[in-house]
Amino acid sequence: MGGVKVRIQGHPILGAAPAGRRVTITVDGRPVAAVEGEPVAAALMAAGVRAFRRTTKTGEWRGVFCAIGRCTDCVMTIDGVPNVRTCVTPVRDGMAVATQTGLGKWGVDDAGD
Amino acid sequence: MLATELAIVGAGPAGLAAAIEAARHGVEVTLIDENARPGGQLFKQIHKFFGSRQHGAGTRGVDLGARLLGDVRKTGVNVMLNTVAWGIFDGPTLALYDGAGSRQVAARAVLLCTGATENALAFPGWTLPGVLGAGAAQTMVNLHRVLPGQRVLTVGAGNVGLIVSFQLLQAGAGAVTVVEALPRIGGYAVHAAKLARAGVPILTSTTIVEACGEDGVVAAVVAGLDAAGRPDPRTARRLDVDTICLAVGLSPLAELAFMAGCQFAFVPELGGHVPVHDEGMATTVPGIYVAGDVAGIEEASTAMDEGRLAGLSIAAALGRLAPDAAESEKKAIRARLDELRAGPFGERVRAGKSRLVGQAGAGAGVGAGRACGTPAAAPAAAPPGPPTPAERASCPADGVLGADTLRRLPGVPSPERLRAGPVAVIECPQEIPCDPCQAACKKGAIAVGPRLTSLPRLDDSRCTGCGLCVPACPGQAVFVVDQSGDDGSGTVMFPWEFLPRPEPGAAVRAADRRGRPLGPATVVAVKDVRGFDRTPVVTLRVGRDIAMEVRGLVRGVGA
Repeated sequence: MGGVKVRIQGHPILGAAPAGRRVTITVDGRPVAAVEGEPVAAALMAAGVRAFRRTTKTGEWRGVFCAIGRCTDCVMTIDGVPNVRTCVTPVRDGMAVATQTGLGKWGVDDAGD
Repeated sequence: MLATELAIVGAGPAGLAAAIEAARHGVEVTLIDENARPGGQLFKQIHKFFGSRQHGAGTRGVDLGARLLGDVRKTGVNVMLNTVAWGIFDGPTLALYDGAGSRQVAARAVLLCTGATENALAFPGWTLPGVLGAGAAQTMVNLHRVLPGQRVLTVGAGNVGLIVSFQLLQAGAGAVTVVEALPRIGGYAVHAAKLARAGVPILTSTTIVEACGEDGVVAAVVAGLDAAGRPDPRTARRLDVDTICLAVGLSPLAELAFMAGCQFAFVPELGGHVPVHDEGMATTVPGIYVAGDVAGIEEASTAMDEGRLAGLSIAAALGRLAPDAAESEKKAIRARLDELRAGPFGERVRAGKSRLVGQAGAGAGVGAGRACGTPAAAPAAAPPGPPTPAERASCPADGVLGADTLRRLPGVPSPERLRAGPVAVIECPQEIPCDPCQAACKKGAIAVGPRLTSLPRLDDSRCTGCGLCVPACPGQAVFVVDQSGDDGSGTVMFPWEFLPRPEPGAAVRAADRRGRPLGPATVVAVKDVRGFDRTPVVTLRVGRDIAMEVRGLVRGVGA
């Protein structure tokens, strides 16, 4: 059970969600709809993905913890660059996001390990 | 190397307010922030702030942020975004990284407004995806418009835990439960009460034991604490949640101050190790200043005023402002800060700040060396003390005010007055610094005083039950009740910041102070004008005998 993840369309204080440009990124090769400029972590959360990486020694899953770029728990491999903080990295169309294991590898576009 | 007069690190409430104040006096300011947008955490604060009008009370944090940004643009401050300040060296010189490369900026003064970070709490499963900081959840729902989960457990009933839990409901979360290890709610009673009205259980003397799941949270185990403060396995139970929010305090982000060699003190009331600073926000290192949460965990409103103090001190130090002119402006700001720190909640901050400031005086010119890993000796810090009588007496363990407490409140009208026609019922039980209800009343029926923290008093002979005080209260603690109906009916007016908004004429279920259904009700009116600032006011017709029990409606469900 991954939990129901939803985008908040109407909000009693903030009003309707701003209409951002819809783009597509890939997560481990699978296409995922996203909004341009939103953090990668938000796009993944909205798509029901919350396990972002596995730890080096025990392979435990990690995801978003602080959401403001401090804790580095949410790092993934993006466009072949490992250890990118997904909570402060804006989505660009066509971005290739990959689950990371341990410290990750350079140049891997999907979960190749 | 770049050069500037004043380099400010952090464009949150403290940094923005300081930049405006310093620039207003002719100081050339460079404002540096690692984020793509300025504002710090202000833009996720969608609730109305407490305080008085001069503190911006009644205004939502997000709107205060927009106002500050507008002022910064007018002042011609140089804003550097997406830029991390990773080091500070003699001069003072800051080392910056902007994604393309590193560079340095030499400044005559450096102001650190680096804020705070959320504390974590270790328990089995605490690293699972789905366990996140309460502030992180707030960022996700209010900035990025994504709900982290449907069924949430919040750990910690301080103001952050209470506020974020409410905002998760506003964003559409299905259910929220709050646990608090202490035997009492640490946050404001009005925040607890509005959460309880929304049906959220607040369980004190209870803690999380385990987060369950393989690749994400699927449940949590909570347990009551025994007399020794240990989880009692006999009381353990499993909660069906998919998200766990940790709201267990904040710690100052003071690495740059440490690197600069500032003297530190360990002050638990202010969140831990804090740079020693004087009343003008100067640290023990000449030219280095601090303001906001880095100088001790408080609120956005106090951060803004600390930023203004620092801005004035720096303008004076750079010769842009005569010392006596600076001092008289600073005096007014300190008076505002004293008001915000008054009352039982401000007591610990006042004690902590006075110890810091005392050291700054004693250590002037002495403690300004490199710290080399050992903070200078701090006086034995008292642990956070027991609640004061005022705090203890006024917030019930579950956040729900009892009939006895209500009768004693100076904002609650007499039973005779309630039967005579519509009248305000101000359910404000704690001495918190706040007075928008007073300004909202055109009849002069509400008085807060002599202090900003005094409980609001209702002159029920002057009150006409117009209800303008209902949306004005930042704590959503004011209602209008009418028990005068000849036909046995009454009405209750209450603030309603949820979707869907009920329709006039609709049949709904009235809810009590715990959000439990009390009986059928009809929506008489839903009022929402610009001056209410997105706090619609709903009036329900209910049985007269339950009008003092009804405080809302059962959310999302018809009659």
